[in-house]
Amino acid sequence: MRNPSVSTGPPSLLWTTFRRSLTIGRTYIVVGIVYVLVLSVALSLSPGSSFDSAFPIFLPIFGVLGSMGSLMVFSNDRTKGVFEYLIAYGFSPRGLFINVLLASLLIETVTLALLVGIGLAIFVASGHAISLPLLTALSVYSVPMSYASSAFASLMGMIWTSLAKPWTGLSSPIGLVPFVGIAPSLLTLALVAFLAIQGFANVDLVVGAVVLGVLTLVVALLSELDRLLPRERLLSPV
Amino acid sequence: MGDAEPGNLVGYPAPLRRGSISCRSVNAGYLGTTVLHDVSFRIDEPGIYVVLGRNGAGKTTLFRTLAGILSPTQGEVFIGGEPLDHQTSRDHVHFLSHMDGIPDGLPVREALEFYAAVEGASSADVDRVMDLLGIGKLGGSYLSQLSAGQKKRVSIARIFFQEREIYLLDEPTANLDPQLAREIRTLVLALSREKIVLYSSHNLFEAREIGRFVLVINEGRLVRFDRIENLRGARYAVGIRVLEPTDALSDFSHEGDYFVKTLAGPEEVPPLIRELEARGIKIREVREMDNPLEDLFA
Repeated sequence: MRNPSVSTGPPSLLWTTFRRSLTIGRTYIVVGIVYVLVLSVALSLSPGSSFDSAFPIFLPIFGVLGSMGSLMVFSNDRTKGVFEYLIAYGFSPRGLFINVLLASLLIETVTLALLVGIGLAIFVASGHAISLPLLTALSVYSVPMSYASSAFASLMGMIWTSLAKPWTGLSSPIGLVPFVGIAPSLLTLALVAFLAIQGFANVDLVVGAVVLGVLTLVVALLSELDRLLPRERLLSPV
Repeated sequence: MGDAEPGNLVGYPAPLRRGSISCRSVNAGYLGTTVLHDVSFRIDEPGIYVVLGRNGAGKTTLFRTLAGILSPTQGEVFIGGEPLDHQTSRDHVHFLSHMDGIPDGLPVREALEFYAAVEGASSADVDRVMDLLGIGKLGGSYLSQLSAGQKKRVSIARIFFQEREIYLLDEPTANLDPQLAREIRTLVLALSREKIVLYSSHNLFEAREIGRFVLVINEGRLVRFDRIENLRGARYAVGIRVLEPTDALSDFSHEGDYFVKTLAGPEEVPPLIRELEARGIKIREVREMDNPLEDLFA
């Protein structure tokens, strides 16, 4: 057995967590891809410019599914004693939360790239041209909303999972968090539909406000993380 | 511990050795609930120190506190005379949880590489430890494909990557078959020649087999810190079931199907069995009629 090495700080877990999240949560990513495939085909074949307006609005709903893998890693690590091992070896509870959050955002990046790529490919293959309003909507709404929703779902999921007993199954936090994650996007969708019916012209302003609201929630949750999630919450049941 | 009486730590009369662990008036628990109450002890000689206690007595909480996972709400933990913080814990203490602690989503080899990275060990250390624990062929298997025994081997492997002065092993043989439990005890015994090993168990017989000292925890309090040989239950009785009725056990009492004899301790069981077999008695089963741990907490 080797002698103890000179003390170094704990290494970054981000890459490992990212890979584990991809492995564990790949089913969610596949489901997101299938939904986007169906949606893209349906919108591309429909008349008018429905793809331009609908695809960017729907995209964050499916995009957030991709980041569920990191939340499953979080839940497993808590109940199986991985976190207490890591804390014993110098990792801070806050660092562990942030690690999962960053992993979920990394996966969100991969998922978004896949979904946008697939959606646009189907759209173009159907004989359409990518318009400036479509690119604007994707970059101004879809991408920020996807990241904000993913961060929101991850944080809410971590807090909820930590406060709950280590349930599994559909009634567990893990089972319900996807619905929490897509709530902001659904809210936006409902708002846009309502405002369109009312004849409200400045939809972009409302959509921007929702994105800003979700981001503010994320920042608020992050700032309260230490209070909401003391280290005892990361330990497996005795 | 040297010549000092175990557990005698009031005032810390002597400087603690580098490889020592002690705690002074420690309270600890979870989210405002105190589980450990006023726990104090000092250990500075290598050996196995068995932490005995019933389920829920506070053994895991004690280990988590000694590993720096939980912060004491009162009192202090010292490693090598230094107050415990994350760096001293990382440098001097190995902690094995009662849970497997194996990360999902990685094959065994990569899970061990993960541990190795956390502990600053190398790939060569992973090879060596996989050989040591006999899990070389499991490298490509995922956690869900392993038996309970294989999971335990993978889990315990991480304490052999790097040497530390102190090992905290929380029920390392719980729920294992006797063969694997024996293998793990052999590894831990070898380790304890130069290291301090705190080893929690609720099995007094296991404690007697490997321990040098025993710390008995009851309801979160350290109620006894003593040499293992001084640990005796008030009554140690074995029950014997025989294949054929016999009058040769007239000096035994009866409890149901069992002929019961009170002995001084478990060490008298093998000679008793030999004696009975020599008398031609065909033994079907031998069992302990009481749990001597109960006596410790009475």
